Amino acid sequence: MCINTAGGGAGHTRGASSRSHDWQNRDMTSAGPESPPRRTGSLQPVELAQAAVMAALCAAIAIIAVVVPFAAGLSLLGTVPMGLLAYRYRLRVLIAATVAGGLVAFLIAGMGGFMTVVNCAYIGGLTGIVKRRGRGTPTVIAAALVAGALFGMATVVALAILSRLRNLIFESVTANVTGLAAVLARIPGMEAIAERMKRDFAIVLDHWPYLFFTTGVLSIVFVSLVGWWALSRVLSRLLGVPDVHKLESATDVGPVGPVPLRLHDVRFRYPTSDHDALGPLSLSVRSGEHLAVTGANGSGKTTLMLVLSGREPTAGTVERPGAVGLGKLGGTAVVMQHPESQVLGTRVADDVVWGLPPGTATDVNQLLSEVGLDGMAERDTGGLSGGELQRLAVAAALAREPSLLIADEVTSMVDQDGREGLMSVLSGLTRRHRTSLVHITHYNDEADAADRTVKLAGSGWPVTDSADMVETAKAPTAAFVADRPRGAPLLELSGVCHEYGNGTPWAKSALSDIDFAVHEGDGMLIHGLNGSGKSTLAWIMAGLTVPTTGACLLDGAPVSDQVGAVAISFQAARLQLMRSHVALEIASSAGFSVWNQARVTEALHTVGLDPTLAARRVDELSGGQMRRVVLAGLLARSPRALILDEPLAGLDAASQRALLRLLIELRRSRGLTVVVISHDFSGLEELCPRTLHLQRGVLTTAPTAAGDVS
Amino acid sequence: MTAATRKQRRQVVLLRPVPGQTVIHDLWAGSKLLIVAGIGVLLTFYPGWVPIGAVALLIVAAAALAHIPRGVLPTVPRLLWVLLALGALTATFAGGSPVIAVGSLDIGLGGLLNFLRITALSIVLIGLGAMVSWTTNVAEVAPAVATLGRPLRPLRVPVDDWAVTLALALRAFPMLIDEFRVLYAARQLRPQDVDATRGARRRRWASELIDLLAAAITVALRRADEMGDAITARGGAGQISAAPTRPKRRDWVVLAVVVLVCGVALALELTVLGTSGMRRR
Repeated sequence: MCINTAGGGAGHTRGASSRSHDWQNRDMTSAGPESPPRRTGSLQPVELAQAAVMAALCAAIAIIAVVVPFAAGLSLLGTVPMGLLAYRYRLRVLIAATVAGGLVAFLIAGMGGFMTVVNCAYIGGLTGIVKRRGRGTPTVIAAALVAGALFGMATVVALAILSRLRNLIFESVTANVTGLAAVLARIPGMEAIAERMKRDFAIVLDHWPYLFFTTGVLSIVFVSLVGWWALSRVLSRLLGVPDVHKLESATDVGPVGPVPLRLHDVRFRYPTSDHDALGPLSLSVRSGEHLAVTGANGSGKTTLMLVLSGREPTAGTVERPGAVGLGKLGGTAVVMQHPESQVLGTRVADDVVWGLPPGTATDVNQLLSEVGLDGMAERDTGGLSGGELQRLAVAAALAREPSLLIADEVTSMVDQDGREGLMSVLSGLTRRHRTSLVHITHYNDEADAADRTVKLAGSGWPVTDSADMVETAKAPTAAFVADRPRGAPLLELSGVCHEYGNGTPWAKSALSDIDFAVHEGDGMLIHGLNGSGKSTLAWIMAGLTVPTTGACLLDGAPVSDQVGAVAISFQAARLQLMRSHVALEIASSAGFSVWNQARVTEALHTVGLDPTLAARRVDELSGGQMRRVVLAGLLARSPRALILDEPLAGLDAASQRALLRLLIELRRSRGLTVVVISHDFSGLEELCPRTLHLQRGVLTTAPTAAGDVS
Repeated sequence: MTAATRKQRRQVVLLRPVPGQTVIHDLWAGSKLLIVAGIGVLLTFYPGWVPIGAVALLIVAAAALAHIPRGVLPTVPRLLWVLLALGALTATFAGGSPVIAVGSLDIGLGGLLNFLRITALSIVLIGLGAMVSWTTNVAEVAPAVATLGRPLRPLRVPVDDWAVTLALALRAFPMLIDEFRVLYAARQLRPQDVDATRGARRRRWASELIDLLAAAITVALRRADEMGDAITARGGAGQISAAPTRPKRRDWVVLAVVVLVCGVALALELTVLGTSGMRRR
């Protein structure tokens, strides 16, 4: 766990955690350096993940810098992720990230990409280490001079060895210069300049070792200073970023034996919190039973998962016959909420065995067929739907033949189809395997499959909404419900087809023959499962993607020429918040001056947020608040229509209801045209009287197959 | 064909092999990496016409065997063509041996040939890397790196850590690219900043860059936290591949062919057909 050493950060974030419910279950720490004593030996899980993600980020920046013409300056920013790694972790992490990022960049952009990543790591490492030591700009300059001298010498030595390549480069550049001089010499009055140019260039080339050495030193110093500036700026922005990592590696040794498990008056309090997140709770998990744990948001469901998976409680006792053995064979396995980030392999079969001790033989195909993924062993995990990813995570958990399997809200981020598939896998699990299953859920009907249900009452934490449990919703059968006379057509899509990778061997059709219109004041739901093309459609309607054929017109003109006229709120709200503070963010996205406080307040009012929030840092907001701040910025520009891509995803039940109420109110009072893109129906009927179903890129009038099943 | 179709540039598809199951696709990823590394070294040491031509021949042969269609090539921006033409033009004016006579005009091709050679070298090197990414499933790269690095293990080089990090980076990369797309789109949706006076615009530009980077890093940190949890839930790193592939007979055949072709090219370069030797004026 990272300990925050940056003085102001801890107090700041603690204040936020007591206010925003969404972060309550998390340890609030910032991107500070890892606390001593520093580890030795192989990379730990957190270090591996950080190295990998930052390597991918650096590689992405390097590739853009190499591939996009005239974007080479961007590579300066690639030093920041690497600097962050050097600042927070040991050198071994940085080196692993350099190798990984270099190879990724090499695979896409060749040698140029590889060298860019290596340079970014060289300078990022330098600035990051200086930052960690708490030194300032003079130290950076001194270190950069030394590093630059080393780099310059390396360049000179390399060019001295590669004499033929050097010759080729020099002769080729000389040819360009001589040629240019020859052209210049034909212009009357320029002969002297041309002659001089030729001569000076020859002199410079004759002293090439000095030239390259000096250039090396100067460029390294320059890049280091830019990198240092960017790293400092970014680090100051990252102070409020919550650390969302929850699990800790098993430290207990000895024979593995997590069940039968007995909790006695267990309480748990997060280090930065002033109240218990869980308990007092007494609970037992017997061998081989299927136990469901339900409870409202804030009742400590996730915290219970942590305690079950080996975290020491603050008070009370936990009895187990042996060690927890998190992720070990015969130990405890955990399947978590977020489908995408749990899957670690790029190929389905690889993911099942990922992390197993070398030499363990696994019947991958048998496991995959048990979770309903037969014959998909060779598929890319990137193309799987949320439900498939979660079932894959269950297969990977089962590959460890666990004695205790914990499923923590595994269905909350998958569509109806995926939810049913997952439930059918989970419900018979304890009969097929010698394992206890603890299924933590906030869907009441999912608890029915269990042998026993425990309802968490919650501790002192105030629960905002008493009826917080969610029932899964059925698809409305009628596609059109005319609720009022429809206004003039606003957005018209005619014959829209879209194909990704058009003209390449990877071409993949996403949408075909889409014809419909959104009318003034409409409330429309575009419903479809993962991969039905609904996000592509949203991007086309917002003008962000130009369809391959067909047209999407707003007021008769292509919407792609009027980007910004149709507002869109993306599923990942955080990516839409670019400024550091709420007021700055709203002013910037709405297009008015940050000094215009009245308008900021008004915008916050529109979305039902307290004006005091204006001074808050963006990263301190809960998920629901982030979405509302995005809406505030978008609505302040009075958009012609508002598109919401999965507006309810990742929000708890209370925030979902509140957001829906707000949207319904806005539609009624302002006549706002709303288009919702979603895989879910629950509660959307009132906001969206009109529903379109999208199935594999085609509009169908009947509800999709998934809706029928429920 | 509407106007919109013509405007669109061919999209770049990253890290996905060209569909198909050919000899080249089936080669062990490690052999491909070794070949690319070996040829890269050869060309940086001996960038003569003969080695460049030989490698180009190998690439064309491999592309034909792998059934690579022309559609894989990304659209080259017109500006790049203009720059290339400009470079070629100025290099031609430099003259130099050999000189050919076109009608009554003597044209020295020395400069142009040098320019063409360095251009050909760049294209061949890019093509080499592209062949690897067009024919290799990314899932095979990290296990291959682990196998290739095995000799380094006694030297206490943490090859396995590297391979695991590489595997995870390849897994995270497409997700980050998707997030970049959203970030860029969100940026497009915003209006012009009203506060920016002309003097403050440059500072504004810099701070905007930091904003974008901070958003990207925040998302990346979150992704990394979640990934760390997932790794912890699996009990740390271990196997990364369900069916690790090893070099087979076809790998040895291909390696032999490559060594033979490159060896002959090198021999010619060093003896009768040398074009990269010292020839200073």
